[in-house]
Amino acid sequence: MLRSERKSLRRFLVLYMLLMLGLFALGSLLYYRSQEQVMLLQTKSRLMDYAAEQIRRLKRLHEHFPQQNRYPRDPRFRSAIYDLEYVKIFSTLRDGRVDFLGDIYSVGDVIHYVKILDNYYLGAKYLFVEVPRDRSWQQAVLGRIALAGTVLGILLALLGYSLARLFVRPMRQSIRLLDDFIHDTTHELNTPLSSILANIEMIDPAAMKEGDRRRLERIGVAARTVSTLYEDLKFLTLERHRPVRDERFSLDRLLKERLDYFEVMLRSKQLELRTDIAPVTIRADRRLLARLIDNLLSNAIKYNRRGGRIEVSLRPGSLRIADTGVGIDEEALEQIFERYRRFDSSEGGFGLGLDIVKRIADRYGFVIDIRSRKGEGTEITLSWKAEEE
Amino acid sequence: MRKMVLLFLIGALWGGSFDRNCIPCHRKEGVSLRLTFMNALLIYSGEHNMKAGLKYFLRHPSRETSVMGEEYFRTHRLKAPLTLPERELDEALDEYWERYKVIGRLR
Ligand code: HEC
Repeated sequence: MLRSERKSLRRFLVLYMLLMLGLFALGSLLYYRSQEQVMLLQTKSRLMDYAAEQIRRLKRLHEHFPQQNRYPRDPRFRSAIYDLEYVKIFSTLRDGRVDFLGDIYSVGDVIHYVKILDNYYLGAKYLFVEVPRDRSWQQAVLGRIALAGTVLGILLALLGYSLARLFVRPMRQSIRLLDDFIHDTTHELNTPLSSILANIEMIDPAAMKEGDRRRLERIGVAARTVSTLYEDLKFLTLERHRPVRDERFSLDRLLKERLDYFEVMLRSKQLELRTDIAPVTIRADRRLLARLIDNLLSNAIKYNRRGGRIEVSLRPGSLRIADTGVGIDEEALEQIFERYRRFDSSEGGFGLGLDIVKRIADRYGFVIDIRSRKGEGTEITLSWKAEEE
Repeated sequence: MRKMVLLFLIGALWGGSFDRNCIPCHRKEGVSLRLTFMNALLIYSGEHNMKAGLKYFLRHPSRETSVMGEEYFRTHRLKAPLTLPERELDEALDEYWERYKVIGRLR
């Protein structure tokens, strides 16, 4: 899966999960409330019985007051009586916060039920019956919510994931199409390009007129430019799945070989080449390092000014390539390795080069250091841990 | 007139307005003031409500508004309206409430 694809997938999933979470929370709240109501109703019928019983006792007490003055108590509940003017007559309540219009309500960790008396025994108009709040229903409800939440969560996550995949499928298809196209095109480029390069090699410039020789040289430069591009494309598409074959080899020899290859291009731009190459062996994939060097050199040539200079130095542990070209902006330096981004928009091309350099350098743990001054040139140094000879 | 003065003197010696104005007649009529209080409580519930209600009843007695119930009036007759001064009546009712109230007497 591609990075952009994964990003939009993740974004979709986050939004989706948030939405579902919100819905679930709402549902749970409603469920909880309704269960609380059910519990209160069940409690209410019990409390109504208690109240009726208590009223009978109050009646008896009323009739025998003041010979009897002990307020009736019951182990199953607590109670209180208030008169019509809300004055407390007597109370055994644990939580004295009473609500005269409450019917049945919970306060603190108790439940109150209010009964309005028909006959105001002992002057009592309001009878409050109090029982401790039963927490067991709450635990049961919360447990059920948690269970439903987990099951639903898993189901919704799966659903969301498959939905998201469904949505990104068209995107992926178009990307694959483009990929295939580049892949095929690259493949098709190989034969004609090799044929052009081979034939240029076969022509003997000595037997040519001066003007023709220069033209031939320009064709050679153009062909090599296309060839570099071709190699880059091949690297990105065809060779992406090619197994990497690391081996020990002489980097200086590879570097010289690549410099030879670019010789025509250097000449055509009248660039002065200064080399300082020490023998260096390294363990890596030769083809990958060839790509890396090619890209660095081709950039140094491409962005150089006519008649400029290129310095190439190789030491154990470092490769430095400096040019006297256009240079790069400070801010652009940071994004320089982004794929398909070129630091000079005046020059055509794919700008794949630095992206490839970065990938290969990352693979081998090379540190890339770029110094650049606009108008003066760019200096790129790769450094790695030198091998002990 | 002399009788009134005598009664007043005895009453004053006895104590408050309630003792003077209410108890003698209730004793004579054999109507327990405890009973009337408990009955009144059943209907009026609160202190101020009861005082206001009784005050009106004592001034304008009627079987319909009495707290004694129909059963009572089968064997007894309605009391005559009281004429004692406003202040005396209020005082008597205050004492009546204090003497028989339930609030603070339960345990
Ligand atoms: C002249 C006699 C008399 C006096 C004085 C009197 N009462 Fe009564 N009272 C009665 C009788 C008789 C009844 C029962 C019949 C009735 O309710 O009409 C009664 C009834 C009551 C009742 C029941 C009310 C009801 O709704 O039926 C109350 C309460 C009461 N008396 C309080 C008082 C108080 C307080 C005073 C003093 C301010 C007082 N009475 C003075 C004769 C008296």
